[in-house]
Amino acid sequence: MTDGPTVAPGLSVEREDVTEDELRELGIDTSGASASDFKRYPVLSEGGWYIVIKNQKTMETVHRTKWTLLGPIKLVTDGLHIA
Amino acid sequence: MTDLGVGKTPIKELTDAEFEARYNCDRYTATVLSNRMRYIVEHMCTNLLHHAFSLILRDWYDFAATISGPSNMNYPMSTVSNSLVLFSGAMEHAVRNAVEEYGPDKLKPGDVLMVNDPYRAGNHVNDICFIRPVFHDDKIVTFVALRAHQLDMGGIVPAGFSATKRDVYETGLVIPPMLAYENDQPVQSSFHLIFNNARYCALLLPDMITIYQNLLLGERLMKESFERYGVDAWLGAINYSVDVPAESMAAAIKALPDGVYRGSDLVDADGIDDTLEYEIKVEITKKGERLEVDFSGTSQQARTSINAGVFDTLTATGVALKYLLDPKTAFNSGAYRNVDVVLPAGTICSATPPDGPVFLYWEAAQPVLLAIFKALEPAVKENAVGGDYGSLSIHNGHGVTPDGTPWVTVAQCGGEHGPWGATKSGDADSYGGFYMANNLDPATEAIESELPIVVLRKEYVPDTAGTGYNRGGASVLRDSMFLTDAHHTSSPVHTKRSSGAGVYGGKDGRNGATWLFPAEGGFDVSQRQDLIPVLDPEAYRQSTPVSGMLDPETKALDVEKGEYFWFGANPLWHTKPNDVFRYVTCGGGGWGNPYTREADRVLRDVRDEYVSIEAAARDFGVIITGDPQKDPEGLAIDEAATEARRAELRNAGMA
Repeated sequence: MTDGPTVAPGLSVEREDVTEDELRELGIDTSGASASDFKRYPVLSEGGWYIVIKNQKTMETVHRTKWTLLGPIKLVTDGLHIA
Repeated sequence: MTDLGVGKTPIKELTDAEFEARYNCDRYTATVLSNRMRYIVEHMCTNLLHHAFSLILRDWYDFAATISGPSNMNYPMSTVSNSLVLFSGAMEHAVRNAVEEYGPDKLKPGDVLMVNDPYRAGNHVNDICFIRPVFHDDKIVTFVALRAHQLDMGGIVPAGFSATKRDVYETGLVIPPMLAYENDQPVQSSFHLIFNNARYCALLLPDMITIYQNLLLGERLMKESFERYGVDAWLGAINYSVDVPAESMAAAIKALPDGVYRGSDLVDADGIDDTLEYEIKVEITKKGERLEVDFSGTSQQARTSINAGVFDTLTATGVALKYLLDPKTAFNSGAYRNVDVVLPAGTICSATPPDGPVFLYWEAAQPVLLAIFKALEPAVKENAVGGDYGSLSIHNGHGVTPDGTPWVTVAQCGGEHGPWGATKSGDADSYGGFYMANNLDPATEAIESELPIVVLRKEYVPDTAGTGYNRGGASVLRDSMFLTDAHHTSSPVHTKRSSGAGVYGGKDGRNGATWLFPAEGGFDVSQRQDLIPVLDPEAYRQSTPVSGMLDPETKALDVEKGEYFWFGANPLWHTKPNDVFRYVTCGGGGWGNPYTREADRVLRDVRDEYVSIEAAARDFGVIITGDPQKDPEGLAIDEAATEARRAELRNAGMA
C-alpha cells in the first residue's frame, strides 16, 4: 500500500421542495411559515416506511403517508412480470 | 401504527373507564396479558434451546421469537424474546413485509410462512424467519414468529460467514415469502428447495422441525389466552404493550436538550482491498418529543458482504436509543413511534441487491450504534455508555475428520465474545455478547468434544481495557488449535481503531488483532508442550498476521506506530494440523476520569491482572508496590507516592 486509504463516498437522502399549492391541497396549516420551510422525504419508523412533509425549522411533521413496504430498496425481481 | 400520538392522555393518567375504552380491558388484564406474551416468547425460546440440534442454536442462542398484531393494526410488534435483538428489531418488518407480499387473505390455519431475504426482512440469508398466523373464529388475531440461524444456506462458503463475498449470488439461497407448512404439513417443494442448496441438511431438518413445534407451542399458549380473556382484550394488550415504551421513549427524548448532534464511526475496509474505508455518519435532530436520525453522508455500500440492510440499521438505532435514553421499558415496535430514521438506499448500512451483499451485517450495524453513542454523548452526559468490543472478528472453519466426516465451526473460535463499555453504574464486564446480541458463549467442552479443535487460551489481556473512573472490560484473547487440515474465513474488520470508545472523560479500549501461528516452522504447541506467549512481542515473529495495527518487524500489536494488516489479504486460509488462530478483541471503553478512580479499586485491578503496576501509575496515577504474579495478596498502595503522582497530574491539567 503506497497511499493511505480514502473514505468511500457518501450518499444522501434528497429532501424535496414543497410548493404552497401542494401544502394547500393537502390542507396543511403552515402557521405563518413559508413553503420553503417544508421538505418532503422518506423516513423509516414504527410501522414501516413513510413519506413525510416536515417543517425543517421546527421539525414538525405536517403530513405523513405510508410508502411502499421496502421504501427505496429495489429487489432484483422488481419489474419482472410473471404471468 | 397504533394511534397514540403526541398529545394523547398518558396511560397513567387514564381513568379506569378511559383505559378500558382504549385497550378493551382493565389495567390488570392488560398487564397480565402483556406479561403472558413475554412468557410465551421466552417459553418458545427456552424450548428451542433445549431441543435444537446444531451448535449455532444449541450453544449460541442464535434465534429470537416475537409476537405481532394483525394486518388491520399494521402488525404492531408487542413482544420480543430476551435473545438476539438484531433479529427481533427487524422482525416487526419481516412479519409485515412477508405477510403483505404473500397476501394475508391467502393464509390459512395450519400455515407457516418463511422468508430470509435480507432486503425484505433484515439480517442474512441463514436467518430464516418462520411466521405462524394464529387464528380465532377464522380471523388472524396474531402472528407468532421464530427467526433462527440455519447452519448453512448455500453460497460459496460452508456455513456462510465471510467478509469477501461479492454479491447476493455468492451469499446463499434467497427465500421470498413462501409457505414452509400448509395445513400443518411440510411443503415438500419448499424443503427440497432449501436442502438442494444448503449443506449440513441432516442438522437443518431436525432444527426446522423443532422450530415448527415451538411455533405450535406459542400458538397453543396464545389460544389459551384468547379463551380465557377474549380476543378483544388480547388485541388491546398488544396495543398497550407497544404504547408503554412509546410513551417512555417520548418522555426520554423530551428530557434531552433540543439540538443537532453528530457522530460517526469507520469500518476498516471491505474484502476487495484496503483502499477504501467506510464511514457511518449520523446527524440527530432533537425537537420536543421527537428525534430525526439522518444517515445522509454515510459511505456507499461496500463491495463485499460487510453491509447491513435498512432494518438492521433501524434496529441498531432503536437499541442505541434504548441504552442511552430509555433502558427500563421493553424493546418493541413502540420504541420507534417518535423516531424517524432518514436512510439513503445503497449505503453500507442500507445495502441494495444484487451488488450490496449482506452477510456480516453486524459489522455495519454495530458502528451505527457506536456512531449514535458518540453523537448523543454530549446530550446524555453522565448517562453515556462506553463502546463495547464492537466487531465479532468472526471465525468460520471447516474440514473433514480422518473418517471423512465434515465438520464446521460457526463463530466459536474467533473474537465473537468480549468486553462491554463502562457506565456510570460501574466497571464493565469483560466477557459477553456484543451490545446487539444476548447470546450464549459456546462451552469449551462442547467445542472440543464435537470438533477437532483444542481451546488453548480464553483469557483477558492486561492493560487493554479503556481506563476511567469506571473501567471498561478487558480484551479477550482466544487461541484455538486445529487438529486436522482445515480451511478458514477470518473477518476482523474493525481493528484499525478501537470500537471501545471511552465516554465522559474515560479512555478508549485497546485495538484488537488476529494472527495465525503455523506449527510447522513456527510455534508447535503440541511439540513444545507449552502455550504461545501473550505479552512477549518476540513470540509474534513466527506468526502470519491476519488483521490489526502491527509492528511490521515483530508483528506484535503496536497501536501507535504499527501498520495496518488487512483481513482480506487471504480470503480462505488453509491450515495444517496443530496450527493456531489467535484472536484478541478490542477493549471496552472507560467512563469518567481515570485519575479520580479510588486507589483501592486500582489495587484490585492490579491484583486481578486487568492492569499492570506500570499502567496503574501511568493511566490511573496510583502507585502500587509488590509482585502481582508471585505475591498478589501482598500488593499495597504507596499512599504518599500516589498523592504526589496525582498532584503532578493535577498540575499538568490531566486529573
